[in-house]
Formats: sequence, structure tokens, C-alpha cells
Amino acid sequence: MPKRVALKDSFMVDTSDLSNFARAVAVSMTDDQVDVSGFSATGVNEYLNGPRTQTVTVTFYGAYGTGETHAVLYPLYKNRTTTVIKWRADQTSVVSVTNPELRGNAKLFSYGPGSTRGDTDTYDVTFTAIDAAGFDWFTT
Amino acid sequence: MTKYRVTGSVPFDGHQPGEEFEADYDDDLEDRALERGSIEVVGGRTTKKKEETSDA
Repeated sequence: MPKRVALKDSFMVDTSDLSNFARAVAVSMTDDQVDVSGFSATGVNEYLNGPRTQTVTVTFYGAYGTGETHAVLYPLYKNRTTTVIKWRADQTSVVSVTNPELRGNAKLFSYGPGSTRGDTDTYDVTFTAIDAAGFDWFTT
Repeated sequence: MTKYRVTGSVPFDGHQPGEEFEADYDDDLEDRALERGSIEVVGGRTTKKKEETSDA
């Protein structure tokens, strides 16, 4: 896939397509950096990868209609539900090597909508990978 | 397989609002989708999926 302007992204939560209610997606995959340094002639630190944390933070438009943002997301938080999330760059094309899809089982550990007078109602929601499989990219 | 209709304005599992489709969802996912109004069972259902499964 060449350079792109993000316009056609697909974001699904719990099988509901919330693409039109989302305007930004940020993936974070981070390993703890564990210092295993010993004495050495150079004094350079030595590290190993520690526990891995994966999150996907999405900026959603606040929408309170049937099956819309709040109706999908809040029950997931309230009931501590594990659900599947899926994100890919182009919703008009099938999942492929050039249009990979990030998938995984996630939970919401926080939920915080809000509003500011005169502003568009948006809020960030962070999905955290909660099993050993984690989030991964799929091409089929 | 159960026949569903997408309700509301949000596409569901690749199906557009108003579209009818057949699928076999796990009970929890179906319950959540029905509860929030994402889908409805076409023709209604008189028994729970779990009961249908256990009778089979």
C-alpha cells in the first residue's frame, strides 16, 4: 500500500462497525525494558524484553443512539466484558497482505465520555489486549 | 444458524442497517447485540439458543 491519507479506516468493536463514529486510532505496543546489566569494560547497559503491553486508543464521537458508540462501549466496561476489536486501513478492501487487519481480544479498563460547550463531543477509549495472543496483524 | 436483521444505523458484522442475514453467534455476543439494539432476530425466537443447543 502506498502512502495514504486516513479516510477509509474500518474499526469494529464487538462485531459492531463503529468506523463512522471514530476519527483517530493509535496503537501502542510496548515491552518493559528490563535492565540485566552486569559489570563490563564498556559500561553499556544490557537489556532484555520484559512483559508486553498492547493498547489501541480510539477517538470516538459521542453518540447515544441505538447501537451507537455509547450503547456499544459502556456495557463492555460496565460488565468487564472481553470482546474482539478489529482495525484496518481500508474498509472498502478485503483483508490482505496490503490491507492487514489488527485484531485481538480486549477489555476496557476505563470509560470516560464528556462534553464541552460548543465543541464536538468526542472522547478517547483505550482497548487493552488481555490474553496471551495479544493484538496481532492478520492478512486473511 | 439464526436469521437476524440489522437495526439502528450502525452496520453489524459487515451487514448494513436493514439487511437480513444468517449467522451463528455465541450466546454472549448475541445477547449484547440484541440488548443494545444492533440486531434483532427475524421472526422472533421462542427458545434460548442454549436450550436449542442442549436439545440437539
